Amino acid sequence: MTLEAAPTQAFAHSGKLGNVLGLAFKNAGLTLATLTLYRFWARTAMRRRLWSRVWVMGDPLEYTGSAWELFRGFLISLPCFFLPAIFIFYIAPLMMDPVTATWLAIGFYIIANPLIAAARYLMRRYQLSRTRWRGIRFGLAGSSARYAFASFGWTILQTLSLGWYTPAARMNRAKLMWDNARFGDQPFQFIDDGESPQQGMWWPFAMGWFGSILSLFVAYFIVFMIAFAAGLGEYISQGAESSEQAAMIFVGIGVASFVLGLLLMTLAWAPYNAAAMNRIASLIELDGARFKLKAKTFSLFGVTLAGWLITIFSLTLLAPVAGFLQVRYVINRLEVTGAPKFAEIGQSIVPEGTSGEGLGDAFDLDMGVGVV
Amino acid sequence: MILARYADGRAAIARDAQVELGPDALTIQVGEQNHVWTYADLRRADDGAGRIMLKRKPDTGERLMLEQSSDLESTAPDLFKPRAFGIEGRAVVGSLIASAWGIAAAFLVGIPLAAAPIAEVIPERQRNQIADISWSQVNAFTDYCDDSDEAARILNDVAYRMMENSNVARRDDIWITIVDAPFPNAFALPDYSIIVTDDLIEMAESPDEVTGVIAHEIAHIEHNHVMKNIIRNVGAGVFFDIVFGGAGAGQAIAIASVNLTGLRYSRDDETDADVRGFEYMDAAGIDTGGVARLFTRFTEMAEEQGGGDIPTLLSSHPASAERAATARARSRPGLAPSINEADWRVVRAACSDEPIPVPAPIEIPAQGQTPREGANPNAAPAPTSPTPPLEGGAGKPESPGPMPKPAHPKAVAPRIGGLPSLGRAS
Repeated sequence: MTLEAAPTQAFAHSGKLGNVLGLAFKNAGLTLATLTLYRFWARTAMRRRLWSRVWVMGDPLEYTGSAWELFRGFLISLPCFFLPAIFIFYIAPLMMDPVTATWLAIGFYIIANPLIAAARYLMRRYQLSRTRWRGIRFGLAGSSARYAFASFGWTILQTLSLGWYTPAARMNRAKLMWDNARFGDQPFQFIDDGESPQQGMWWPFAMGWFGSILSLFVAYFIVFMIAFAAGLGEYISQGAESSEQAAMIFVGIGVASFVLGLLLMTLAWAPYNAAAMNRIASLIELDGARFKLKAKTFSLFGVTLAGWLITIFSLTLLAPVAGFLQVRYVINRLEVTGAPKFAEIGQSIVPEGTSGEGLGDAFDLDMGVGVV
Repeated sequence: MILARYADGRAAIARDAQVELGPDALTIQVGEQNHVWTYADLRRADDGAGRIMLKRKPDTGERLMLEQSSDLESTAPDLFKPRAFGIEGRAVVGSLIASAWGIAAAFLVGIPLAAAPIAEVIPERQRNQIADISWSQVNAFTDYCDDSDEAARILNDVAYRMMENSNVARRDDIWITIVDAPFPNAFALPDYSIIVTDDLIEMAESPDEVTGVIAHEIAHIEHNHVMKNIIRNVGAGVFFDIVFGGAGAGQAIAIASVNLTGLRYSRDDETDADVRGFEYMDAAGIDTGGVARLFTRFTEMAEEQGGGDIPTLLSSHPASAERAATARARSRPGLAPSINEADWRVVRAACSDEPIPVPAPIEIPAQGQTPREGANPNAAPAPTSPTPPLEGGAGKPESPGPMPKPAHPKAVAPRIGGLPSLGRAS
């Protein structure tokens, strides 16, 4: 007997859409039947499926997390997050004076920002600690609080700069995350290659920034042109049959313009997203090995759009399929130069932790699949 | 012998290995070393759709990767069952379904059951806080009628007469306000206020119809339906938010429950308010026939409009026709109208910006007829003339009794727009 030939390239994703769809449908059915309580089991099964199709140098990744860990994390987040949230959003508006209740809600939204950042970090930590390759565990060291507060500061800078600090903030976050990532006892590094971390990202960002503003105008223009071509002008000049009908037409035009605008905005940001992903990958190093990602504008736009459509039309029930498309897209475009000395990389020393991603679940960060 | 790859969990490398299957254990031969793994201690690290990967339990980090093997399946069939993959069994799925629906039942059935005792213990300050939200809606969507003070006093008089005869505990806190609104309706607020719209008065063909509606709203207050309804909705909102991950739908339900559009009662509460309202009217010597006629008209309206936009006060469950029949069955024709002719003209003129019309016959049962046997002998007669107004604006009295016209702290503000869906309130 001989072993099945593993993919020859360093990184490959062998997942098939049909295979993932079948599991996604089963998960969606059981999630509905259990009023979403099954989501922890669904998430675990989907991760196992997605991870096991990721081949790295001939061996697959393995997801070792359990649904009970995620469920335990959810139970922990109940008193820590849900009960305060229930008080602030249900009880306070009814039982406290409006000014206090409003300040409480504003305070919650302010705190939610670093809390979401911390949740992302903890979620990444959990997922890495439950990912193995050749039996060796990944891990994420560092402090989630430090990441949360730093991220909060960068968010403030992003806001004050009307978004123009975003490329720097994205690279800062990536650096903090990857500098703390581990494979076994070997740390990843987010290296300084002598260039600006945002190299190659500014022009695409400017395109996205101006393009997204332009998108809305272009969308309204296109929709109005189509509407006029279809006889809207004549209809208005003759007088609409009823004000309700006229209102319906304009609501329809508004919705169509908004949807088209979103579509164009996604396209406008695709070059920036592709550039950022490629740049981040190029600065990651593991024991001398460097990575290269070949994300392209239109292919990334296609994957993003397909993910959105699947998520929206399935009322988020098939969101994991969107996650699968993303994972497959990245893995199949990832290359490595050089090889780490695997024989010298030992088992991880970063503690595993015992419970899952309660906060991440509370904020619904991963669309049910774990791709943060 | 099966070709395989073995990783020892101490370094990130996998070595070629050979595996020999025994009856209870497999032996892994890696170079000169042999590892014996008992089948009972093994688990699958793959997901069953590709290459087989075995690990030990508890996890040592060691991995054995081999091709799909019919030999292994026949030797160790347990490794091909869902349990070996860590996939939950039917018992877990069944328990989850049972738990989920059990929790749902606890929220959606338990909270309504607990609503009554919870509503009773909510302090007045918090109740007024909630009422403020309702009042802000009233202020936003209705107009204050500066000529309705006298009419409001008349309605409060008749309401107090009913409450006194029925010994309603909260009668000194209940106060009726007339507002200018483009829809016929009446609703009770958490602070024991009752709002009656001018369109409802305009629609009424006799005073007993308006009195019947007021009796119904008083019953909602007496039995704390308003707060119970809010607690039920908040409970449902919390449940939906936890279930659907805080998407905001639940919060919207809860917040809406204190808005006028959300003031809907359960079928039981409506029936309860109907029955109790009829009792007030009986005790005060007021004929329920007027209410029956009002319900009948709303039934006709509903039929004409195809069950569309009609006031929920009258269209909501139980069906108006059913309610009309109940009211008709209790009717005692011949009783004096609850509000005399002169007062009724004053009430009708509220919010109309027109002078009080010249007396004209109104369609009410003949006055002066003796109440039928069994009518409450203590029932007070309808006032024959309006109580002289006091100085100040219309509002809830500070002291017991039908004291008219102390300043109302929540007088409605000028209306800035309509709210057709207010018809949901009742």
